Amino acid sequence: MIRADEHHLRNGTLKAHSDQKQQGSNSLKNGFHVAGKVQKNANGDSFHQPRVRGEDSFEEAPMYVAVLTYMGYGIVILFGYFRDFLRAVGLEKCHQAQEREEQKDFVPLYQDFENFYKRNLYMRVRDNWNRPICSLPGPVFDVMERVSDDYNWTFRLTGKTIENVINMGSYNYLGFAENNVDFLKTVAEETRQYGVGVCSTRQELGNLSIHENLEQLVAEFLGVESAMAFGMGFATNSMNIPALVGKGCLILSDELNHTSLILGARLSGATIRVFKHNNMQSLEKLLKEAICSGQPRTHRGWKKILIMVEGIYSMEGSLVRLPEILALKKKYKAYLYLDEAHSIGAVGPTGRGVTEHFGVDPNEVDVLMGTFTKSFGAAGGYIAGKKELVDYLRSHSHSAMYATAMSPPVVEQIIRAIKCIMGVDGTTEGQRRVRQLSENTRYLRSRLKEMGFIVYGNQDSPVVPLLLYLPGKVGEFSRAMLKRKIGVVVVGFPATPIAEARARFCVSAAHTREMLDKVLQNLDELGDHIRVKFSRRRPSHRQELYNETDFERDS
Amino acid sequence: MALGDAWKQLSWFYYQYLLVTALYMLEPWERTIFNSLLVTVAAMAIYTGYVFMPQHIMAILHYFEVVQ
Repeated sequence: MIRADEHHLRNGTLKAHSDQKQQGSNSLKNGFHVAGKVQKNANGDSFHQPRVRGEDSFEEAPMYVAVLTYMGYGIVILFGYFRDFLRAVGLEKCHQAQEREEQKDFVPLYQDFENFYKRNLYMRVRDNWNRPICSLPGPVFDVMERVSDDYNWTFRLTGKTIENVINMGSYNYLGFAENNVDFLKTVAEETRQYGVGVCSTRQELGNLSIHENLEQLVAEFLGVESAMAFGMGFATNSMNIPALVGKGCLILSDELNHTSLILGARLSGATIRVFKHNNMQSLEKLLKEAICSGQPRTHRGWKKILIMVEGIYSMEGSLVRLPEILALKKKYKAYLYLDEAHSIGAVGPTGRGVTEHFGVDPNEVDVLMGTFTKSFGAAGGYIAGKKELVDYLRSHSHSAMYATAMSPPVVEQIIRAIKCIMGVDGTTEGQRRVRQLSENTRYLRSRLKEMGFIVYGNQDSPVVPLLLYLPGKVGEFSRAMLKRKIGVVVVGFPATPIAEARARFCVSAAHTREMLDKVLQNLDELGDHIRVKFSRRRPSHRQELYNETDFERDS
Repeated sequence: MALGDAWKQLSWFYYQYLLVTALYMLEPWERTIFNSLLVTVAAMAIYTGYVFMPQHIMAILHYFEVVQ
């Protein structure tokens, strides 16, 4: 840190000779870590100051929006009860599963709120999800047209395809979901050599040399000692957390953690306590309580305290407060599990995730987890950290021991994607994509805010949730955007709080400026037509012109 | 042309009403039921107002001693 400040003072003046020598050995060209050479200082070289984290915005909607949302849900729920009554009486045929006649006196299976919601609210707008796609999910794709004759209980495909729909929903952050023959040459070669199926687990006969290469490459990419790759991202979380913590341990998990983290925490049998989203005071309070009172009845100390957070939260687009969490972790001697599913490859000046974004040494985080599904265009997940940790996981994790090893073409796709981002393959394509992604993100977010939409999250996150709130508008938004040949993902109740339904855009490096402009223009028109521009803070379009009379005062 | 514009504007208002009350998600016969209920209740309210408004206004003016 001190080094960076000194450098600041010397801007524009001749550097002392001794300083220049230090400068040479410390500078990193591309964060290209050779195993063993661990960077002591903050990861930023003199050109990358540790970034100040922009503020997350979670603007609240005006009161009338909340009232109308609840009113809308109330009306649909009333009609839901009415329809259920008609079905129970027999005036209407029940399309959904029902108990058999003999079991009508048993404990009811389909009466809880989830099934009620599914029958009466979800079914009505079900055509907005699970749309069949018939091309690769690049920046544009083809959607098959389907219609329903009985209000979404059954669908049939008409046979036509809607072509060149702009894809704003796929997690294709760096654009690696491509079928360009030149880029995929190595993948084809590896398939020719290894085949597609591995037919064994890693522990038995499935440990191919390509897997070893992948793990070493991932460790180099992240700047840590060692890494291990698994076949499925969800399974990486849910199967490895039980191997790391057990009974007698404490897990402090963020309110909005992903289901895989929650499942892994529950499977492990540890005590789970939840702190408010990104709220450091809440986390510190829990830590203090945990250390002071210990385990619930015996008051013995906790065996381990594990803080589980994500790099980017996929429904809000907010970034984790990494420096503060690291400070807390050191003060209270806890461990940190960082799930970088959405942020690896997508944030940071060279795409190495939130650790690089904040200028933090990745070795300070105890367990780095991520997935290859989003930014690398493949499938699977990894866990990285110290060598002892990863070696322990190799023999104690369920996923490592019992799950089939990753398929060779997928592994090669990840290898080529990582090599592209690191620049090892000799081109600047990877860096160009990382820069293009951050430009696209900033452009989209700033334009959406200018237009007056409520957008959640941090300005650097490529996940852009646009709030819609009202249930009627959610369905209409998705259908209208598809009519204008833009494919969006809308999310409603179980995944988000009931009053905050949203449309979630995933920016990609493969989107060109024209595509984004087309999307923005359509959003503008549609936003006015439907009226979803709820934001009350409107920044001005143009920067204020420099007032010349103040010139003398400033200089 | 004014009639055409007025019709477009009215139909946009109806569309907004459908979206905001979530009637947009319901089937046409359900919308008919809800609209009839709404119109019935509104008609009853207006009729009651029409019948009782003179008496209420006289009572208020009498209270404030504006009229004997």
